[in-house]
Amino acid sequence: MIGRMAAAFAAGLMLATPVLAADPPAEIKIGTLYASSGRYASISMPVHSALKLWVEQKNAEGGVYVKAFDKKVPIKLVAYDDQSNTATASTLYNQLITQDKVDLLVADSGSVLTAPAVAIARDHKMFLFDQTGTGASFFSKDNPYIALMADPVSTIWPKPVADFLTHDGPALGIKKIALLYSTNEFTGTQANAVRKFIKESGAPVEIVYDQGVPTETTNYTVIINNIRAKKPDAVIHLGYAPNDIAFLRNVNEVGVKFKWMFSIYAGLETELLEKNVGVKGLQYVYTYVPPSELDYPVNFGMKMPEFRALWNKTFPDGKVEFGFNAVAGYTTALVIEKTLSVATSLDQMELRRAVFSLSGQLKTLDGTFALDETGGQIGELTPLGQLVPNEHGHLKFVAVYPHEVATGKPVYPRP
Amino acid sequence: MLVYALVAGLLFGLYFSLVGIGLNLVFGVMRIVNLAHGDFLMLGAFIAVGVSALAALDPLFAVPLAFVVFVLVGLVLYRLLVPRLQGSVNPEMLSIILFFGLSQVIEALTTIAFGTSERSIDSSELGAILAPLRTALFGGDADGPVELFGQSFPASWAISATVSVIAIGLVYVYLYRTRLGTLTRAVMSRRDEAFATGINVDRVSAAAFGIGLGLAAVAGVFAPFMFGSVTPAFGEDATVTSFAVVVLGSLGNPLGTALGGVVYGISYMLVQTYLSSWADLLPYVLLILILLLRPSGLLGRRVRVA
Repeated sequence: MIGRMAAAFAAGLMLATPVLAADPPAEIKIGTLYASSGRYASISMPVHSALKLWVEQKNAEGGVYVKAFDKKVPIKLVAYDDQSNTATASTLYNQLITQDKVDLLVADSGSVLTAPAVAIARDHKMFLFDQTGTGASFFSKDNPYIALMADPVSTIWPKPVADFLTHDGPALGIKKIALLYSTNEFTGTQANAVRKFIKESGAPVEIVYDQGVPTETTNYTVIINNIRAKKPDAVIHLGYAPNDIAFLRNVNEVGVKFKWMFSIYAGLETELLEKNVGVKGLQYVYTYVPPSELDYPVNFGMKMPEFRALWNKTFPDGKVEFGFNAVAGYTTALVIEKTLSVATSLDQMELRRAVFSLSGQLKTLDGTFALDETGGQIGELTPLGQLVPNEHGHLKFVAVYPHEVATGKPVYPRP
Repeated sequence: MLVYALVAGLLFGLYFSLVGIGLNLVFGVMRIVNLAHGDFLMLGAFIAVGVSALAALDPLFAVPLAFVVFVLVGLVLYRLLVPRLQGSVNPEMLSIILFFGLSQVIEALTTIAFGTSERSIDSSELGAILAPLRTALFGGDADGPVELFGQSFPASWAISATVSVIAIGLVYVYLYRTRLGTLTRAVMSRRDEAFATGINVDRVSAAAFGIGLGLAAVAGVFAPFMFGSVTPAFGEDATVTSFAVVVLGSLGNPLGTALGGVVYGISYMLVQTYLSSWADLLPYVLLILILLLRPSGLLGRRVRVA
């Protein structure tokens, strides 16, 4: 009798086990890559530094709360340097999954270094926390293993730019547009989107110059002369930070005055661009208004001034610039933290379910986190703004489009 | 557009002649491939950034400074590395590995020291001391573009091209009008015969190595103006382009590099004008073409028999 009761008790215990929290591991392993050198270092290091900053902060508090174990668990960041090389990145992404057996996989910054991770993560059925890889081809209905954390997907990111040119442009006298872009997933997709939005608008504007250049381009003097020959009313330049630096410097050096000029990184990495292009070279340039200039309501994580202060305290030497990418890295960290707090296990599909459950609910210093069904980020939209000198000669952002968030009128033509 | 591309190509190409000439001098004399060439160029750029940011001087002052510093660095490095390399069975192959390693070390140390971000110098600072002369020669504003054939070009391009012509001229004077230069040409022609005739090959080689590095550093001073900005990782691309320019002109003939640079510059600007998406393939396409059609380079008469 006692034996039967003991057996029944043991069987009951076994059946009850699944509803209790599993044994917690000593640490949660987050695997990621960064580029300490090469072309993408300046966009990768701020993202990675922000992620590290969060890991140190959480570990100092005893770890991050993991619902699957109902307790705080320390984080171990397993990070390798891909040196901006996609082949090296491929090897290292594989290593993170197969050798290090990380619990969460986080991509390096930017579409170029995210691209190898997309296929590898999918092959290994590993959910990819895509930090800033916005390329349209990464997101499809048949790939459940990815979500974009901190940038709008490239297919919708340039909508405010195209909408401004097609809605407000004709009234200002903008009829001819030049489109120059770097031929990579990030800016190539944005160029396609700009073309599509302009074409679909039916507005009386025409693209008179449409050229792609290699991402490695560092000299635009001849190209600028070719654009000038087409007499455009507006010039859209879509490139990475080094492209923007070279393009804007060359525009000033050649003495060309384009009436309307857009560049991505003038707004995203303003400190870096100001150091290299100068205040004069950035004056009246149109760009995306970064979250640091917008006071988003926050329901999780630090607010912008708090994060900025912590960043300056942690990285006082200024070797890694504070900007859009630093905010993106911290936003990724917040999504991971919130995901772990709602996921009932570390199973990759459960992580996906948890990430998607945050869509529309999570409000960080980067705006509202919202995903479409493919994992593309559609919430953290950046308005179109213009860099205008203030009374002290410094640059300030003036949001000009959409009208509901505008803080001023566009200055056209560029003085 | 064609005239603009041709003039821009000429200015750009003259600068690339300077970028490549040091690499070719080192190869011509020692038959070693300095894969860290671009990294010395990058270090020259950081000297210019330092001269501008810390001393608030015209970056042109960085030209003699960079040259002297890197001639000395070259002499020290030569003593440390090259004799052992020359004593090996296959110095050309081993030099590739050795200087690749050196390149990685330089990039890593520079990254630790200065970070990964792009750095540049305000274009108006270059040649500020020559502003009156520039205005007299080319007209326009003292800090604006220069006018050539009725077209506007960045003043920094004209200054870089002018310094490049002067530097190439000085290399010519060194090679053809000095005793050390004559000995250098003798070593370039036949190292073993030069040694047999009693020439101090080691001394000649050390001088060529130092001058080669010095020329790379001088080219680096203008890199922030020609490429928009520089980072510690800049060296790799610079080495590849230098190699294309050198092979195009003639491997082992430093003055052939001048022609190689101009051909490269003009070709690059023409491709950027008419087939912009393909511009970055140019160094490799030119390398393949020259190796297929004229393996000794455009001025290949004096190519070494390796």
